[in-house]
Amino acid sequence: MEHMGVEPGRLQFSWISSAESTKFVDVAKKVTEAVQALGPNTKFKKSK
Amino acid sequence: MSAKIDAIRQIARRLLADGAVDMVIGFKRGTLPMMNEPCFIRKAEEADRLVWDSHCGINLANYVTDRKERVAVVAKGCDSRNLVNHIIENKIKREKLVVIGVCCDGMLDKRLIAEKSREEAGAEVDAVEEANGQITVKAGALIWQAPREELLQDNCKRCRHRNPVLYDERVGEPVAEKTEDNYEDVKRIEAMSSDEKWAHFENMLSSCIRCYACRNACPLCYCPTCFVDESRPQWVGKSQDPIDIRTFHFLRAYHCAGRCTDCGSCERACPMGIPVRQFTRKLNKDCEELYGWQAGLSIDQRPALDTYSPNDPNDFIR
Amino acid sequence: MKVIHISKTEWQDGLDKARPSYGLYGPMRQGQDDPVFRRLGPGEFPEMSFKNTKMSPKELVHPQSEPLFRYTLDPNDPDHDILKEVPKDTSPKAIIAVRPCDADAFLLVRRNFDTPVYKDPYWVNAYESLTKIGLACNRACSSTAFCTTAGSGPFSDAGVDVLLVDTDDAYLARVITEKGGRFLDACGFTTPATDGEARIASLREKAEATISSSVHTDKLREQQTIDLYDASFWEDVAFACINCGTCTYSCPTCWCFDIQDETRGKQGVRMRNWDSCMYPLFTLHGSGHNPRGTKVHRVRQRFMHKLKYYVDKYQDGIQCVGCGRCIRLCPVNIDIRNVCNMMNGYTACACAAS
Repeated sequence: MEHMGVEPGRLQFSWISSAESTKFVDVAKKVTEAVQALGPNTKFKKSK
Repeated sequence: MSAKIDAIRQIARRLLADGAVDMVIGFKRGTLPMMNEPCFIRKAEEADRLVWDSHCGINLANYVTDRKERVAVVAKGCDSRNLVNHIIENKIKREKLVVIGVCCDGMLDKRLIAEKSREEAGAEVDAVEEANGQITVKAGALIWQAPREELLQDNCKRCRHRNPVLYDERVGEPVAEKTEDNYEDVKRIEAMSSDEKWAHFENMLSSCIRCYACRNACPLCYCPTCFVDESRPQWVGKSQDPIDIRTFHFLRAYHCAGRCTDCGSCERACPMGIPVRQFTRKLNKDCEELYGWQAGLSIDQRPALDTYSPNDPNDFIR
Repeated sequence: MKVIHISKTEWQDGLDKARPSYGLYGPMRQGQDDPVFRRLGPGEFPEMSFKNTKMSPKELVHPQSEPLFRYTLDPNDPDHDILKEVPKDTSPKAIIAVRPCDADAFLLVRRNFDTPVYKDPYWVNAYESLTKIGLACNRACSSTAFCTTAGSGPFSDAGVDVLLVDTDDAYLARVITEKGGRFLDACGFTTPATDGEARIASLREKAEATISSSVHTDKLREQQTIDLYDASFWEDVAFACINCGTCTYSCPTCWCFDIQDETRGKQGVRMRNWDSCMYPLFTLHGSGHNPRGTKVHRVRQRFMHKLKYYVDKYQDGIQCVGCGRCIRLCPVNIDIRNVCNMMNGYTACACAAS
């Protein structure tokens, strides 16, 4: 995705077990912060 | 070249006469210069239909998918790697397959030759001949020449596996192999900024007519229903919206990750001349750098994306 | 018929004069490749020295993706759940330098969209807004062109409103319809040509002699449909096919389409997209059954439609104008000329014996 021009950080991968609730919360927070910092997605978005 | 044709015909004749296979898949002479048509023969006496030359770029592994007969197939290095893929992915049984491996010198780039002829002679290609590593092209009133190596398909120039990796019968003597692909084409794009990358692919895909020739020419694409054809749910829109077109192209590439042999069929098939390998080659490079993996070299090894290793280079998965 | 003389020095000025009353479309080159038809911007002029465009101009009347309706599913909107027609631009347009084969193709496609019983408003309105200024081919565009035996030809004027003939320093413009005459008037082209018809006839003869490729179609009508359908050659013909849609998308006479709704959030659009008999979704029934479920079925459908069903239904030749695009662009070299000749020359008994 980054290779075709989506900004680094907009797409993130994590491996979280169903037992790792705190990790899930941490990752969700981190992803939200990272994406908020990037702002709205302007490229990979249908216009109509 | 004609020695290879003789050998292919002889092998095909023998396999069919002995009843070792039900059909032989190879190439027959096309109706246009630089074109041969994939074909099958079922009788030994039809063996003379088969030909071989520098215009056999279509990947014949695409034609054995899910075949129930005992099949012999003429295979270049890349085709043989896709046959390995097929065996690993249960698309064909090894015991029903006879591989007629052809040591390949690389295939000529029909688009490049047509473009050069158009530039130099303003004419269509009438004939292409080769002797001693030199290609002679007749186009209208003009005849032009160039060294064979310069007119090869880009993937053939980079190829490291021209000799078949799996075969039961071999045609031709093994050729010397390159040891490295510098991936400078991929690196050039990697060096761009996000905006430049986005613009680069937007421009590249602007002429796409969404005919799916790239997908259909690829031996890896055998899903009963492709994600672009699914309507419940509809994963991707079917119009000419540029985002839908891009989604098709990058997902097609993802579905080939760790499986692509860079045979060049997709690019060769594209009627608009879009260099679609730019997507798959990035993933080939990643697979090689991260996992030391090149697809289709051995039937005994599981593909990179088919195995879990505690040493996986990505930390999110550990 | 009237023939107008247009010297090349007055050509561009004339087009400029027509711009206020016509949207101009013409072939434009992008890089080295064959040109494509598109709307000409201010100061842009059509490429006039080309063989033929890569894709056919059918897209100007039957776009690959065409929005028909928009709708909203938002219950707070007074128009919710109502299909609202998408406004179309039906102002006069002129397509410059359309090749005779492609212009003839519009007439073939018209049989499908414009009948006494059914008139497809999208196609008909777009078609009627168009004035077609043809450009005759002084020589064969390609060794794959077989227009002269496919009911068309390098100087065919059946489908155009004006036929331009390039005589190096000028164009001879043969006025075929009143619509065409009006366009030439708008350009201010009024000088009658001396010896116009005679010069066109001589160039036509030379041009037709350069078409080296042909098909035989004389026996297609008398062939039994069921014999052709069951002919033994289909497996062989279809084998190489990869079922991409290149042949049908590049074909000026293929008209099949599919209608799709695309909804995002509460807003949606109903659009029609080109379909192709090469695709697995083509004629797929709601039940899941597809009468054309395999590659052999699909390939046979393409050729039977063009070369037998159409021939029988309209009794006016084949559904093909011989432009040769499908032959040039096919990635695996399936050649309609061979298939046509095979169908034309087929004898069921000889085949059963072999």
